[in-house]
Amino acid sequence: MSLNIYGQNLDSRLLIGSALYPSPQVMKQAILASGSQVVTLSLKRQNPAEQAGQQIWSYLQEIVTEVNGHLLPNTAGCRTAKEAVTLAKMSREIFKTDWLKLEVIGDDYNLQPDPIELLHAAEQLINDGFKVLPYCTDDLVLCQRLYDLGCEVIMPWASPIGTGKGLMNPYNLETIRLRLPDATLILDAGIGKPSDACLAMEMGYDGVLLNSAVALADNPVLMAKAFGQALQAGEHGYVAGIMQQRQTAHPSTPTLDTPFWHQN
Amino acid sequence: MNIHINGKAYPLSNETHISVSSALTLHFIEPQQSTFAVALNGDFVGKSDYDTTMVKNGDSLDVLQPIQGG
Repeated sequence: MSLNIYGQNLDSRLLIGSALYPSPQVMKQAILASGSQVVTLSLKRQNPAEQAGQQIWSYLQEIVTEVNGHLLPNTAGCRTAKEAVTLAKMSREIFKTDWLKLEVIGDDYNLQPDPIELLHAAEQLINDGFKVLPYCTDDLVLCQRLYDLGCEVIMPWASPIGTGKGLMNPYNLETIRLRLPDATLILDAGIGKPSDACLAMEMGYDGVLLNSAVALADNPVLMAKAFGQALQAGEHGYVAGIMQQRQTAHPSTPTLDTPFWHQN
Repeated sequence: MNIHINGKAYPLSNETHISVSSALTLHFIEPQQSTFAVALNGDFVGKSDYDTTMVKNGDSLDVLQPIQGG
């Protein structure tokens, strides 16, 4: 069972960020331990003469080559469609990929995506040939509009970025899955613990994107491994078919021929 | 004229405009280096256009490089 992103089949359903790790070495070990084949990264102002960006990029290229994976540039920090489109074009020139995690923030307090600017940006970028993976809120109609525009992958949030609060609104997330059965749905942001990721997969989500939950763990490498296992457990549970809940208790041990003291 | 590169002001007394390539060298950047991208006043400028795109008084260049991200 593989994850399909714009026609690319990936063995792992986990997409992982490259920020906030205690060191580049721990980042690499954690990414390898997670089994992920998609690593996110970004762009920012730096002086190229200092070579810092070159070092980061070379290091991440080594990692994705080792896992036969892909880089996924994001548009973190953008507040308008225009900013996001410009940053997307800059990313495509540097990273030589048309994959893009589209992120347009609308509020400074909870870093909530701006749905209006997100739609505008997605439309322009799709028309320009990008494979857009929009990070959005868990609003069904917004997700439908993004899908109708041509976003084959939709990434609703579990909760605000970096909070680790997990799935704040399971009903919304389940409804999006139900109403968009053909979209590739990846839960992005707010994941705190492996059981959060497992729950998303049990809902039928296609994957999970996370960063802080691994990078900020006491042992990022072990946590990365735990997330990889949690996603697999949740996926297997979903595919196996979860039993229907029942209102009344039913004995799991057969009652026929139970000992005599239960018979009156 | 004055231009800004990544927020830093560069006064240029003798010119009315310079190419993006020339502006980048002010910032100690080799224009053909591959690991950065440029926006002029918020609009993307591709590498193939560095020599023909002009920077004028009051313009701002952003020079961005890869960094870790989530």
